[in-house]
Order: sequence, then structure tokens, then C-alpha cells
Amino acid sequence: MGTRHRPPVRRLLYAVLAFGALALAGCSTLPASTLDTYGDHARRIHELLVPIAWMALAVFLVVEGALIYTVLRYRRRAAGTMPRQVHGNTNVEIMWTIAPALIVVVVSVLTFRTQAANSQMPADALKIHAIGHQWWFEFRYPEQGIDGADLVTASDMYIPVGRPVTVQLEAADVMHNFWVPKLAGKTYMIPGKTNYLTFTAEQPGIYRAVCAEFCGEAHALMRFRVIALEPAEYDSWVAQHRVAPVIGGGGVLGGDPNRGKELFLNARKLCITCHVIEGTGAKGIIGPNLSYYGSRQTIAAGIMPYSPENLERWLKHGYEIKPGNLMSRVLTRDWIAANLTDQDIKDLVAYLDSMKVNVALPPAR
Amino acid sequence: MAIAQGHVGHVSAPPATTVPAGLAGWLSTVDHKRIGIIYMLAAFVFFIIGGIEALLMRVQLGTPENTFLTPDFYNQLFTMHGTTMIFLAVMPMNVGLGNYVVPLMIGARDMAFPRLNAMSVWLFILGGLMLYFSFFAGGAPNVGWFAYAPLTQKPYSPTFGVDYWILGLLLTGVASIAGALNFIVTILNMRAPGLSLNRMPLFVWMQLIVGFILVFAFPALTVAQIELLFDRHFGTRFFVPSQGGDAVLWQHLFWFFGHPEVYILILPVMGIVSETLPTFSRKPIFGYAFVAFSGVAIGFLGFLVWAHHMFGVGLGPLANAFFAGASFLIAVPTGVKIFNWIATMYDGALSLTTSMLYSIGFIAMFIIGGLSGITLASPPVDLQQTDSYYVVAHLHYVLFGGSILGLFAGVFYWFPKVTGRMLDERLGKVQFWLMMISFNVTFFPMHIIGTDGMPRRIYTYESGMGWDLWNLVATVGAFLMAASVLLFLWNLMVSLRRGAPAGNDPWDAATLEWSVSSPPPPHNFDQIPVVHSRRPLWDHKYPEHAGDGHGASAPDPLVAGFEQPAIHLPSPTYHPLILGVGLTTLFFGILYSSIPPLSISLAVVGLALVAFAIVGWVRDSHKDSPYAAH
Repeated sequence: MGTRHRPPVRRLLYAVLAFGALALAGCSTLPASTLDTYGDHARRIHELLVPIAWMALAVFLVVEGALIYTVLRYRRRAAGTMPRQVHGNTNVEIMWTIAPALIVVVVSVLTFRTQAANSQMPADALKIHAIGHQWWFEFRYPEQGIDGADLVTASDMYIPVGRPVTVQLEAADVMHNFWVPKLAGKTYMIPGKTNYLTFTAEQPGIYRAVCAEFCGEAHALMRFRVIALEPAEYDSWVAQHRVAPVIGGGGVLGGDPNRGKELFLNARKLCITCHVIEGTGAKGIIGPNLSYYGSRQTIAAGIMPYSPENLERWLKHGYEIKPGNLMSRVLTRDWIAANLTDQDIKDLVAYLDSMKVNVALPPAR
Repeated sequence: MAIAQGHVGHVSAPPATTVPAGLAGWLSTVDHKRIGIIYMLAAFVFFIIGGIEALLMRVQLGTPENTFLTPDFYNQLFTMHGTTMIFLAVMPMNVGLGNYVVPLMIGARDMAFPRLNAMSVWLFILGGLMLYFSFFAGGAPNVGWFAYAPLTQKPYSPTFGVDYWILGLLLTGVASIAGALNFIVTILNMRAPGLSLNRMPLFVWMQLIVGFILVFAFPALTVAQIELLFDRHFGTRFFVPSQGGDAVLWQHLFWFFGHPEVYILILPVMGIVSETLPTFSRKPIFGYAFVAFSGVAIGFLGFLVWAHHMFGVGLGPLANAFFAGASFLIAVPTGVKIFNWIATMYDGALSLTTSMLYSIGFIAMFIIGGLSGITLASPPVDLQQTDSYYVVAHLHYVLFGGSILGLFAGVFYWFPKVTGRMLDERLGKVQFWLMMISFNVTFFPMHIIGTDGMPRRIYTYESGMGWDLWNLVATVGAFLMAASVLLFLWNLMVSLRRGAPAGNDPWDAATLEWSVSSPPPPHNFDQIPVVHSRRPLWDHKYPEHAGDGHGASAPDPLVAGFEQPAIHLPSPTYHPLILGVGLTTLFFGILYSSIPPLSISLAVVGLALVAFAIVGWVRDSHKDSPYAAH
């Protein structure tokens, strides 16, 4: 009777294996997959996950197999059958108490090894401060600025390939969480507490990253990019960034960058209340630093690709695009209607777009 | 009223009932069975509401960049879904089943504190209603069921939502702690003669353990919530980092409660299947002591693992290693239980009733939930998986695949005892298979999208991340799950009217609740049984297969072997309900502290009601006397 019921069990087993293999294969090249790693921190996690996953799969097959076998085997006893009244078997029970304990020991040892490797902080690592705000990321490079000042940017974190980076994580308002799935596991950004995360990018690339801790209304729209460049290219990025931006090239969208700059620096238009552009009178520190904005990968913290058209849309319809964001709470629809013409906005876009850094960008991973 | 001194040696007839008819009878009840039914009905209503919230979220996430819900409403929904399912659905469902079944299982006439029992159920319902009132009072809480600081502070959460969350849950917290004490005292003090701890049904064991977990874990949440309340209303700075407070402190307090809470949700269900599996296998539980003590071990270890919810917080590698080790250890007692359940079925005569199918489904799904938890207990891997959809998958395999499927097993098992009628088995089996399939269709893909980097608690996501297909699949699955719940509702309504009569013992079970009529009389037992083994009713029916496996067979338990005490039942009273209403009114007064006239009048009315109820409550005890004989 028992043998007749085995095939369905085996078929289920194959189905599970096939499904698992398909699922794993399918993920590998997706933009935020944790299984497609390009950084040492994420790679070591993946290397730990694989043996644990195989052990879990083995346990799954044995235990679910035993369960299904038992159910199929003993479900059709004649009504009124009185099975042997077995109350237990101490030896067997001690055995299956020890078995999971042994697996636990193996998993613990593997875990602690990876933990040790992933918590190293080499002294020569590049130091970057990452600060979470509702709802965008600020990046400060304390070692790269001029005269003790930080080199500051937002939403795009540039790092060199092959050199360890220690990110010092902080938060300006509520808790956030710094997550670059292809490079490193996530770490909290906590107001009043400083955390550190060290990782090395192993390949050049533009990597997706997000805030992974719920942080309020627009949490879903708080993203950033990590741009890992070859060391020479990275040095060039730093060198260019150390110089205050100047207007280069003609205007986009028919806007006049010089008039845009005047508007930007006009206190009544409120831009300078919150934003910094190095080398100008814009010294507001509430919002993101907009120096070299024309080279950003995205607009409004990673939620749409950078383009002059998208920037214009953002300046006009910020609230609809990112509900709750601070700028739209001040620059409301009515305020914009009363204070900025369509041409003003085109001029502002032309100005922001004119400040560019010249580096060769790696492929998006 | 004068105290009746009439000593009655043997009780021939139950006392004349003084229970008012209709709704009044329910509002004034102190009968553990009626209170259990109220708990379960209210929990089921909240389960449906929490399910509707989940469906709305699944619609929003079915397609990328969807605009079906606003972000703020979505945030309210996931906060309320989690809070509802944990505090207002699964927990009270466990309490309700326990309330109904535990006194019957241990041969008691009622809970130890019947009026406190009534107060608990009303406070739970009023706390739930208060929480839901927030939808009509400026917006529901929108900070997640975990309510991390400092997002909960006034500047970031200016609506009253967080205050409703605090105060509504404080009411249910009072109910939970009072209920837990009631269970502990009932189980320790009111067992029938001969029913030693070592002979207690495993469902009772698990309820006892949960009682202790609750009493130790809940105060941590209560303290945290009161500190948060003071931060928001009275200018303290417990969780304000910019002014010397500590945001991480909230997480420690919350998870010191929050992780044991998982065991509060799952242990009673482990108790349920430890009753159903032996019954439907016609065998005793395999390794009674291992199953009971692994429950104790889980309850104990549950207090040593809270920081595995905080591996990303930066507590340091040493602390993380400790909490990882403790978390891994929980695999041992959990594994023991699973092996023992399978061994219970092994070589049995299985009858695959709906209750049994749900019990097996529980084991099958709980195994997956347990295995997917291993990587979350490993700090390095956790850093990739925490706060992603992988966790959403994991927790639903534990709390739906575990708790809810097990609760269905319990409902199908005890419904005949509660109502005197059987639930329809054919409908039940269709519903079971629909539930099993749709549950996996909904939640299994979440493992994949989580591994593919989809964070939790996002109301929208962009296309092209590889998440679109699986999200759509999960949404379809969620609606099939809803269909299965509707089918259960239909079964419930049909069977209540036309279900086959159950008789005392429809499943040929082993424990005392099946020795009395269905539904049982108000006083439960005409004669308090004397217990000689773990399966008193079984031994009565099958003396040739009796005993606990130690050779000697036991005397028949259902023949009274001692002088029966008189039946002592408390009188119906409205005072627990009035106390609940008073406390709720007072809490509304605290909530509106920023509007002094409203606040003060609500507080005065509330306090007056509380005082009135306490005085009346104290006097109630004198009315119980007519049947008393100690």
C-alpha cells in the first residue's frame, strides 16, 4: 500500500526543486537582486546564504516528505481500527532533539565567520557621511573638500572601485535605512546614533539603492544611486567637484541659464532658503546640495531619471509626484502660480542643467 | 442578602438559571463559555476587517506605480492591518478558544475570576473600537504596528492616529494582562481532582505558558506606550534623540514584548493541533513531556531573542552574535514539536476531517515559516532580508500558515461542542484546499520579490525591477484567500441552522470537554470528574487501551470518587462592562488633553463610571452566595 503512494511525493519533490531553481535563476540579473552581487559585503552574505539554503532545503524535503508519507500511508485504515497506543520513545526523541541542534551549530559557525569578515573596518577606507532626511539622502566627503569643508552632494553616492568605503550613517529627522542590495546589507540611519558600514565595490557600475526603513508618507519614494567608478575616474570626479560649478553650454528647453541663476539667487523665489550651490550666494542647508545638478542620475531622490523635461515637471508638479515632500509644502501650487512663470521654470531648469561634471559613467547594474 | 449556609453533599440538579434572556444575557454574562463566544465572534469580525485592509493593499500593489490609494492611506492600512491581525484577531481568537475550552478540559465550572473575565472581553472590544474610531477622527495611525521612534513624535505624526494606537492598545493590554492572570490562576488552582500538571491536556499547557509570557512581556509594551504618550502630550523626551532621548530604547522595549508576542500567537495553536492530531489519529500524543516542555523552552527562549529584530540597528557584532545564537536555538524545541506531531500520526488510523486537514496544513506551512526564519536569525543574511518582502513572506507563513490555519483546525474541532451542530465537512474541505493553494500563491512569491530587493511598507514601486509579475500573482492569491474565508462564513451560517447534531463526542476524543453535552450546561459538569490519566474520556471508553503507557490501567474517571462540592456560579452583572466603558471614556479624555474642556468632562464621566462599577462589582460578590457552599 505504501509504495503505491510514493510517486506523488517524488513528483512534488521535483516540482519544488525545479521551482526553486527557476526562481533563483530568474532573479539573478534584476536591478536590485541580492543574489547578483558586485560588492564584497553582499557577496559574503550570498556565500553564507547558499549553504544555509541548501541545508534548509534538505530539512524541508525530509520533514515535509515524512509528513506527506505518514498522511498518505495511514489515511485509509478501516473504520474502527485501533492503532497501537504508543506514548513515545525517549531515545528517538533525544535523537531528534540533537539533530536540529547539530545543524544549528553548523549554521552558527558559518554565520559568525561571515559576521567577523563583514564587520571589518580598515583604517585606510574612504570615509563618507551618509545622512538620511525625509525623503532623500545626503552624502558628505570629509576628506575630499577644500579647507576642511566637506565635499557635499545628494542622491548619487560616488565611490571608487576596489577601495574599501566606510559609510558613516546618520539621520537628520526620523530613522532611515541605507540599502544597496548589490553591494552591501542594510544598516539603520538613526537620529542620535552613528552607525558604520564598510564595503568594497568590486566592479564599476551604477547601483540601485533605497531607504529600507519606513520613514513616513513618501518612504516608498526615497531612493538613491551608488556610482562606483574606476579609481582614476573617481579622482577626476572629486577634482572637478572641488571647483565651484560654472554655467557651461547653452540653455535647454529654450531656457536662459544666466537668467535662471538670477532667479535661483533671488531670495523671493525661495530656492536659496534651502539649497546650496557652491560658489554662489545659495547657502540654505535644509534641502539637498544642488552643485553640479546637471550630472545627477535622478530627480527627487531616485524616483525618475534625470532629464530637463522631468526636472521641469518636478518643479511644476512636485506635490503630485512626491506627496508630502517638504519643498511642495512651501512651494505650493498657488505659490508657484503667483511667483514663477513657465519661462521662469525653463530658465531655472536651464541653469541647473548647465552645471555638469565630466566623467565616463559605468553601466547600470 | 444573607449568606446561605446550606451544605449540599451531592448535587442532583443544576441551580435554576438567573441569566437574563437575549442581548441582556450576553452583556451581563460572566459565563466563560459565553465570554469565549463573544471573544471569538469579535475576533472574527476584526479578522474580516484586517483582511479587507490587506485586499486594498494588494490591489494597490497589484501593478507598479498604481494610484488606487494615496500614500498616507496606504500607510494607515498597513499599520491597521498588522495591529488588527495581531492584537484584535489572532490573540483574542486564541483567548476565546481558551476561555471556552480550558475550564471544560480541566473539569472546572468556570474561570477563576468570572467578572474579571467579562471585563477582559469588554476592554478588548472597546480598545479595538477606540482604535478604529481613529478613521473618523482625523486619520488612523500611520506609523506601522511597530511604531518606531521618533517618527511617532508630534512633529512627524501630528494627527491623533498615534494617540488612538497607544490608548486603544493600552485598553486591550489591560484586558490581556487580566486575562492572562485569570488563565494562570484557573489552570493552577481549579483542576479537577487527580488532574496533575503532568496529566493536563497540551492545549491547557500551552495556554498556561502563554499566560506567563503575557504577564512578563506585555508590561514592556505598556511602559513604552505610556512613555510615548507622555512624550506626545506632556513634554517628556523619552524617545526624542535631539533632546537627550533615545530612539533605540523604543525598539528594545517594543521587541522585548514583540518577539514573545509571536509565541503568544503561535503556542495556543500548537496546543490545538496537539489535541486534534491524537484525536484524529486515534493515538495518544507522541512524547507528551517533550511536547509540553518544548513549549516551556520556546516560551523561555522567546525572551532572549528580541534583538534579532534589530540586527541592522548597529548593536555591534558581539550582541548580534548572542541574539543570533539564542534565535537559532529556538529551532530545537520547534523541531521537536514537529517531529512529535508527525510521530503521533505515524501508524495511526487517520481520519482526514477538515480539522485534521487544517492541522496537517498547519504543520506543512509552519515548517516553511520556520526554515525561512533561519536566515533571518543569521545577522549577515538578515541585513539583506530584513525590511524586505522576504520578511513579509516569512511572517505570514508563521502567523497565517501557522496560527490561522491552526485556528481553523481548532474551530472545526470545537464548533460542535460550542453549538451542538457539526460544520459541513464537504464545504470545509473545499475551503481548506482553496485556502492552502491561495495562501501559497499569495505569500510564496513574496520570498522571491524580497530576495529581488523589494522593500516592505512601500505603497508603490517602479516597473522594470522584476517585481511586477509576482506582485500581480500575490494579489490574485489574496482574493482567492478572501473567497475561502467567505466560504467559511457561509459554512458557519448554514451549519448553525442546519448542521448535523453533534452529540457529546463526535470525534471520539479523549479529553473531558467531550464528556458533557454539546453545548455544555452553564455549570459544565453535573459531577466533577476524578482524573487518573492524560486521557480521562478515552480511558472511560476504551479501558483495554487505557493509561499513560506505564503499564497499569487507571480507574474510570467519570465515576465520582469523592464528595461533590455544591455548584457555585456567579450571578450575571453589568459592572465589568460599565467599568470598561468608563475606562474607555477616561482614555478619550486623555487623548484629547489638548482640548481641556472636552478632556476634563470626558475624564470626569469616565472616572465616575469606573468608581460606580467598582463599588457595584464589590457588592456583586455577595449575590453569588445562594449556591455557595465552601
